[in-house]
Amino acid sequence: MTGIVGRMRAAFRGDQRVDADDLVARLDAVRRFLHAVDGQVPDSRLVTAHTLVERAGTRLALSRDHTVVALAGATGSGKSSLFNALAQLDLSPVGVRRPTTGVAHGCVWGPLDGATRLLDWVGVLPRHRFVRESALDADDETVLHGLVLLDLPDFDSVQRSHRLEVDRLLGLVDLVVWVVDPQKYADRVIHASYLREFQRHRDVTLVVLNQADRLSPAELPRVLDDLRRLLDADGLDGVPLLATTAVDQAGMTGLREALERAVAERQAALRRLSGDVDTVVAGLGELVDTDVPRNAPDEDTVGSLDRALAGAAGVPAVAGAVEGAYRHRAGATTGWPVVRGWRRLRPDPLRRLHLPGPAVEADQPAESLVAATSVPDPTTAQRSALGLAIRAVADRAGADLPAPWPDAVTTAARSRLDDLPDALDHAIAGTDLGMNRRPLWWRLVGGVQWLVTLAALAGLGWLLLGYGLRVLGLPAPEYPRVGEVPLPTLLLLGGLLAGLLVAAVTRPVIRWAARRARQRAEKHLTAAVAEVGDRYVRTPVRAVLDRYGQARDALRDAAR
Amino acid sequence: MTTNGDPATRSGAPTVAARTGSPDVAETPPGTTADGLPAALTGLRAAIGAARFPLALPSAEPARRTASALADQLDDYLLPRLARLDAPLLVVVGGSTGAGKSTLVNSLVQARVSAAGVLRPTTRSPVLVCNPADSTWFRQGELLPGLTRTTEPTEDPRTLHLVTAPALPAGLAFLDAPDIDSVVDANRALAGQLLAAADLWLFVTTAARYADAVPWELLRSARARGAAIAMVLDRVPPEAADEVAAHLSEMLAAQDLGAAPLFVLPETWVDGQGLLPDKVTAPLSAWFARLAADAEARAAVVRQTLDGALASLHPTVEALAEAADEQVAAADALDERVRAAYRGAQRTVEDGLVDGRLLRGEVLARWQEFVGTGEFFRTLEARVGRLRDRVVAAMTGRPATSAAELRNAIESQLVTLLRGVSSEAAEHAYTAWKAHPAGAALLEPGLAHPSDDLPERAERLVRDWQRGVLDLVRAEGGDRRFVARTAAYAVNATGLAVMIAVFASTAFIPTGLEVATGAGTTVAAQAVLQAIFGDQAVRTLANKARTDLLERVRALLDEEAARYLTRTDEARPGADAGAELRRAAGRVEVARHRSGLADGDGPGLPAPTGGRR
Repeated sequence: MTGIVGRMRAAFRGDQRVDADDLVARLDAVRRFLHAVDGQVPDSRLVTAHTLVERAGTRLALSRDHTVVALAGATGSGKSSLFNALAQLDLSPVGVRRPTTGVAHGCVWGPLDGATRLLDWVGVLPRHRFVRESALDADDETVLHGLVLLDLPDFDSVQRSHRLEVDRLLGLVDLVVWVVDPQKYADRVIHASYLREFQRHRDVTLVVLNQADRLSPAELPRVLDDLRRLLDADGLDGVPLLATTAVDQAGMTGLREALERAVAERQAALRRLSGDVDTVVAGLGELVDTDVPRNAPDEDTVGSLDRALAGAAGVPAVAGAVEGAYRHRAGATTGWPVVRGWRRLRPDPLRRLHLPGPAVEADQPAESLVAATSVPDPTTAQRSALGLAIRAVADRAGADLPAPWPDAVTTAARSRLDDLPDALDHAIAGTDLGMNRRPLWWRLVGGVQWLVTLAALAGLGWLLLGYGLRVLGLPAPEYPRVGEVPLPTLLLLGGLLAGLLVAAVTRPVIRWAARRARQRAEKHLTAAVAEVGDRYVRTPVRAVLDRYGQARDALRDAAR
Repeated sequence: MTTNGDPATRSGAPTVAARTGSPDVAETPPGTTADGLPAALTGLRAAIGAARFPLALPSAEPARRTASALADQLDDYLLPRLARLDAPLLVVVGGSTGAGKSTLVNSLVQARVSAAGVLRPTTRSPVLVCNPADSTWFRQGELLPGLTRTTEPTEDPRTLHLVTAPALPAGLAFLDAPDIDSVVDANRALAGQLLAAADLWLFVTTAARYADAVPWELLRSARARGAAIAMVLDRVPPEAADEVAAHLSEMLAAQDLGAAPLFVLPETWVDGQGLLPDKVTAPLSAWFARLAADAEARAAVVRQTLDGALASLHPTVEALAEAADEQVAAADALDERVRAAYRGAQRTVEDGLVDGRLLRGEVLARWQEFVGTGEFFRTLEARVGRLRDRVVAAMTGRPATSAAELRNAIESQLVTLLRGVSSEAAEHAYTAWKAHPAGAALLEPGLAHPSDDLPERAERLVRDWQRGVLDLVRAEGGDRRFVARTAAYAVNATGLAVMIAVFASTAFIPTGLEVATGAGTTVAAQAVLQAIFGDQAVRTLANKARTDLLERVRALLDEEAARYLTRTDEARPGADAGAELRRAAGRVEVARHRSGLADGDGPGLPAPTGGRR
């Protein structure tokens, strides 16, 4: 069913007009595509697209009133004879020595001026350009005004340079007339190397079986049928196929009419470029043939990336240090003042990591931010975990993308790997660990500790005073008593006991609060590290995915 | 028919151009000579059959084609021809599509034996025409054994249509080959095979085609092979005959083919039977008639082509041998890339163990939990007793969670490391292969990642190793004191300590950083171990455990690398295919010189009469 529809469309395509603005928009889309994939896809795959953009730009800027038609074919098929017969002048050398024509010859119908720049661009030497002025002839030549007919060299002879010239010219002309003859119409080189390449240019392709006079009238239809079968196999179904003979003008009527139509429509250049765009788009399609992955990479992968980053950044170590430091500092503030001093001999775990200590002055935070930390280097295992996590992110993000993109995603994910350690260090150093404030309750407890210690001291002093007075034989003051116990004794013992008691009571509280502080710090640190991961790993990945999306959209626009 | 080396042949052969012979072997007595040749050729055939070119090197595709062409040539022509030097002369008519090969053959044998027509390509399956007297030889199927003989025309390219034509003199046979340049790919391959089996090439081209690139390539290869060639320039417009023939002669001379007789046939209309007028084919028929009548000339042609084909074997086989060597070299280079990647992985693991830093993080934390607090090292000696109690309690009393956690921590760290390095190595190997044309062809996407079951295998590896360490601790207890102490701490705990020691073996002297970061417990671990075992025992145990671990890791990585390495194995079919090919070719060369084929003193092609040179 679709086959029939396709053939119908192909059959009608000849009459379909190509809108110039539309073509320009499509070319622009190709340009956007090239911009988006630049650096992500190997240049070797983009050569045709780059060539197209450049060539199309130039062709559209040159005369659109002219139609450049090339006669292409194998050596000895009679291209030059046909050329001369169409021009009705002996312009291109004809001969029996093979190969005959070595360079392209051009003939312009109508005034030369508009076509000069076109021929310069195509690369036909001035001495091989001819003008078919209508003044010489009857009016029948005016209908061909605007035709620039090129006689190309052969592409199958021992002269390799001819083939290169043909390949170059075939990329530039608007319409190609393939000239084959009864001897050579089934040659491999014509079909495999050339006709099959013009599948998407069916509306600017014409095939003529030249030297038809060498076949008997009975044989001609059979050969034409066979040739049509070969063309169908080349994917050129629906291409006009004509039999011509250069020896008399009657054998050329069909070709002339076809050329007149093409010249009158002024469409060949646009159709040719449109076909080029089709070819390029089809060739590039597989580069962007799947949808942009939605919300990639997924939560799990990001989670494992964050965990790996945290491990590599030493978050557990810092969090542990926070807990230690909390206990240390809380102990220093709320501990029993009698033994508080010797605690100071032990280092603060956070300070050991070179992380901001408790008493940073408010005007110096910047300095503490830039200073590198002494958080332990990641171990080999942590490094491996980080590598695995980044790889997993890249793999997930690029999983469904076509060929060169997964590599591009992986490269992007690793692009800032070298900056990662420093960034992580920075993030750790810049994270508020919540250790800069002394909680009120530390001070309260500290105050109580001081109070009870002072009470104990006062009691001690009082007792000592009484003891001293007694030693000196002076009358000792009467101690006020609370119940049976003298007040100074109560103060001394009660103070000491209360201090110990407060220390004992606050100890589990401190441990609990230290764990809280650790969790809080861990949360902040993980968030900071996750942000680093986002900035250094996921952002580059997203950038590549964005470019993929742009490229895909651009190519879809170009495919219209 | 003559036997080779017959003096009569030498004197009687018509001389057109000088040919190279080997004067030093010309003395070899005839009759005993050709014996070695078939054996040497059979050996070469086997060597070629054994050569493989699976790696996608630039030389591989040509080598594959050359190898199959050589094998075909040996089977189709050289071996059967050597077996019967007096068999009829086979003229293969080859050339471009539409050149008029079939018409020419029909006209030469004066019968419509091969279908001619305007549709290209006309001939799809080869047609062999011979005198009825010769038909038994061709029907036997020694020549071109791959083609089925039929007596009916078919379209199947794997058949050979045999036709007898009484008009054809005995001792001469024509083979109408398919074209060499049409869209039908099978034709081209078949034509090449047939031309390789020809005693004489009758190469047909036309005025429109004589400068085509494809036939000239074939002619160059024929010249390289020393085949006897006669050219027919067909379908020449009468007015262009002189110019075109002169140009073609120039081109032939430029290609060193000036000695080939050239016949020019004008473009004309065929008669009702589809045959060319007698007048047109007369020079060619006369030439063939002379060739048919002169047995010596025929034998000389056969010898020329045979010797040329044999002589061309040596350089061709040399090229094959080089391609085979390249395959091996490329396979080695690819293997080396893979090995380098996995060696790097192994090194990373070794470094990871040696620098002791793997111990940090989780392992360290668990160790701390396990042995108590980090403070104990200051009063180590005093606390050993308490520690022992704790450890013993932990090991014996309740199933100690901290010990299990420690073991898990070691496991997970190691597994992560192993997964990391294998994934890195796989990627390196993948990238390295991708950069190599032959490597890129062997890759499949899965290879870029470690094998799917790697995590399980790595976990298994670590568990096996841990079990091995415990066994080791038990087995090492030869020393009484050691046993006593080990018993006191339980094998489990000792094993764990040894595992720690494996990671921390260089940390006998703590680095400044470690002390600074509170990793002094690494030192503590060592100190505990030494207190338990004594210095030397710890070293021995740790070394053994480490060696064991590295062995296991190497085995794991080798398995991973094998995924790549098996892919290049194919490229090494024999021990040394290249040398084998060279030896076989050398034997053929020696046998050829001995056989006396080379000492005929002129090509057997008579000069055309009435045609032009």
